Amino acid sequence: MSNDTLTHSVTFTEAPAALTVVVDPTPQIARGSAVIVERRRPKAAGWSLLQGLGVVVDHWRKSFRKLDDPTQIAGTFTTEYPEERLPLPEAYRNMPILLFDDATGHELCTSCFQCQRICPPQVIHMTQAKDPETGKPVPAVSEFIIEYDACMSCGFCAEVCPFDAIKMDHDFELSTANHPSLTVHKAGLLRPVSYYQSIAPTFWAEAEASAYKKLEANKKRRPASIGIAPQMIEQVKAAHELRDDQQEADSPPAPVAIAPALDAGRAATPATASAAPAASDGDLPTDKAARLAAIRARNEAKKAAEQAAPAQAQPAAEGAATALTTPDAPLTDALPAASERTAPPAPATPDAPLDEKAARLAAIRARNAAKKAAQAEEE
Amino acid sequence: MYDVVDFLLNTQLGLNSPDWVVMLISHLVVVGMLFAVAPLQVLFLTYYERRAIARMQDRVGPNRVGYEGLLQPVADGVKMFTKEDIVPDSADKIVHLLAPIVAAAPVLYMFAVLPWGPNMIAVDLPTGLLFFFAISSISTVGLLMAGWASNNKFALLGAMRAVAQVVSYEIPALLSLLFAVMFAGSMSLMAIVEAQGGLFISTTDVPSVPDLGLGWFVFTPVGFLAFVCFFIAALAEGERTPFDIPEADSEIVAGYMTEYSGMKFAMFYLAQYILNFLLCAITATIFFGGWQGPGVAWLVSQSLSADNPAGNPVYNVLAGMLGTFYLLAKTYMFFFVMVALRGAFPRLRIDQLMNFGWKFLIPLTMINILSAALWIAITRWGTAQGFGIIEFAGEPGNLVRWVIAFAVTLVINVAAYWFLARLNVQDHAARQAALTAGGLAVSPPRSA
Ligand code: SF4
Ligand code: SF4
Repeated sequence: MSNDTLTHSVTFTEAPAALTVVVDPTPQIARGSAVIVERRRPKAAGWSLLQGLGVVVDHWRKSFRKLDDPTQIAGTFTTEYPEERLPLPEAYRNMPILLFDDATGHELCTSCFQCQRICPPQVIHMTQAKDPETGKPVPAVSEFIIEYDACMSCGFCAEVCPFDAIKMDHDFELSTANHPSLTVHKAGLLRPVSYYQSIAPTFWAEAEASAYKKLEANKKRRPASIGIAPQMIEQVKAAHELRDDQQEADSPPAPVAIAPALDAGRAATPATASAAPAASDGDLPTDKAARLAAIRARNEAKKAAEQAAPAQAQPAAEGAATALTTPDAPLTDALPAASERTAPPAPATPDAPLDEKAARLAAIRARNAAKKAAQAEEE
Repeated sequence: MYDVVDFLLNTQLGLNSPDWVVMLISHLVVVGMLFAVAPLQVLFLTYYERRAIARMQDRVGPNRVGYEGLLQPVADGVKMFTKEDIVPDSADKIVHLLAPIVAAAPVLYMFAVLPWGPNMIAVDLPTGLLFFFAISSISTVGLLMAGWASNNKFALLGAMRAVAQVVSYEIPALLSLLFAVMFAGSMSLMAIVEAQGGLFISTTDVPSVPDLGLGWFVFTPVGFLAFVCFFIAALAEGERTPFDIPEADSEIVAGYMTEYSGMKFAMFYLAQYILNFLLCAITATIFFGGWQGPGVAWLVSQSLSADNPAGNPVYNVLAGMLGTFYLLAKTYMFFFVMVALRGAFPRLRIDQLMNFGWKFLIPLTMINILSAALWIAITRWGTAQGFGIIEFAGEPGNLVRWVIAFAVTLVINVAAYWFLARLNVQDHAARQAALTAGGLAVSPPRSA
């Protein structure tokens, strides 16, 4: 209706080719030129009122169509929120959350207080963890509180964190009748890294390498189970107990059984395969750790040997399992037999040394040797 | 209804009740039905308006409560009931309480004379049209009471505006309806509807036209102009945008309703929506044939009545249903136009409203009455009435007279519209010029 009663004549003060531009729906207007849109005045009084009414009725008619192209000017574009949701952009930020490593349960936060200092409304509060024996501070938080009700979602905390430990969440449905529940404690703030990876994959891909590097360094300075996410403590303990039990029963496949379980969340990270077992070291009582390290080193050596064997297609875990089908055969006996086929025999440690440091060293050395052997074999 | 009750009580049950009992029962049933229909209409209209205007604004509107939000008005009603009723300390308590009642009660009376279908009317008053508008004006007293009793300047301003507006738009509304009285020769709304049988040409003018129930008055130039004028006046009476000046929420909070809450507020709301419904219904009745429509006349001719004792009572029911359907369809169509107007136009200023009413609508409707008189003279009068200039014998003569009347009134009405519009535009331009020239905001002498 409005189209045939309105005429738009576009006149350019400079461009003489204005007439051709008129047909173009998106005319390029040169800088500095004026565009005069002339509307023919309706002859009959009250006609323009009908035109206005026509526009409204036109919108009503077209509103039964869903607006899918933003260039259309009429049509419903409502998203029926609880049922339909718009995809949130990766950079969307609502409330800050803390991250922990899926595999080991270690929190990425080191209690450096950077976020607390920068937070404009001062809603972050934390207590640094202390070594229960020495009383010295360790790089981990024992309690971390964010007052969600006063947080202004500025994201400064996530920007400033040198350890990529605090990130902005996408969850915005926080309304509650229980006001105190908006003061969120550490257990409520912690999310696994895999969760953040799922909501912001590219951001995490950028941060991942340095975050894990720093985490590895920090883990070494955290005694016992300090710095492990509370929700992960049970899981990690269970895993360790399982390993201890198996170790006491002198059954070597412990790492094979535990490592995949723990590693599930970190499957995407390339460096996990060997890092994960080592990562668990710090949380175990030291004498046990030493013994464990030795056993693990032996196992790896064996694995390497197994992989190098003609039956190379067999997965490592399976290989280890087949080696175990002969439980009567002492481990020390089985090992050389397997190693015989590899060119440089892996130096196996027959017994766990009592000295802790020596044990670790031995373990590392054994592992390296085994790896090297495996590589050589593959080449 | 009298017939139905009489049939049930005396013929079927054999109670032999006296006449007055049948009369009383039938009236009570009708009144009960109407009082049930009125609030239901309001519930539906609020939902209808919200959904329709939402669509006009590219939104969806309330669609959560019940299927597609149909229960939304019920939820709103429940909310209204549970709200606290606050009476201002300095208010005149009794008048404050009475005001919503005085505003809402008269509009329910207006249902009494509205014809819903063939023979479906509560009271077929011979002065139905007059009664309808006389009663509707009483509502205004309620508005003034509300504004006065609230002891609030916004409320008083709103009430004053409401009275000024309703009083000045009552005149064009009634003047524009006079033509229908002339055409039908009666003030009874039933008679006005019955005069609109035919097919584009009313059977009252040309009796040989097939009666399809489409001989609506709006198809004549007189009726069309009257329709436009009346609908504008009806918007002002129903306080609809662009004439919602009495409750202009951006200027005076909510006008006379400012100090009302809870159910008392809902009463005003109810009164307003019933009034809007009735104004739409009366527009449909007077200009668009009311319950007239294709098929109704045939159903009526088949139905049981005093003239046709062999008829089938099923056709009575069918005729009533079809008639009611036509009336409601037309009414909702006009309500849709009201909603579209609300979506399209901004609110007028009070002086613009007055100018428009007194300088444009009233003269126009007066000229329309002249046209209506000419129409009657040309189509119906003969030498006996002293107007035998145009007289043709026989059936084609009626049609020729109709064509002549159509042409004459069309010319008169178009010329009147054009002339008055031009005068008003000039007047407006002159006042605008005076204002921009730094002059006082008084109306300057009209430029020739
Ligand atoms: S988002 Fe901003 S306000 Fe919220 S905790 Fe982080 S720094 Fe503080
Ligand atoms: S969240 Fe980041 S910035 Fe805040 S204390 Fe922990 S490591 Fe430091």
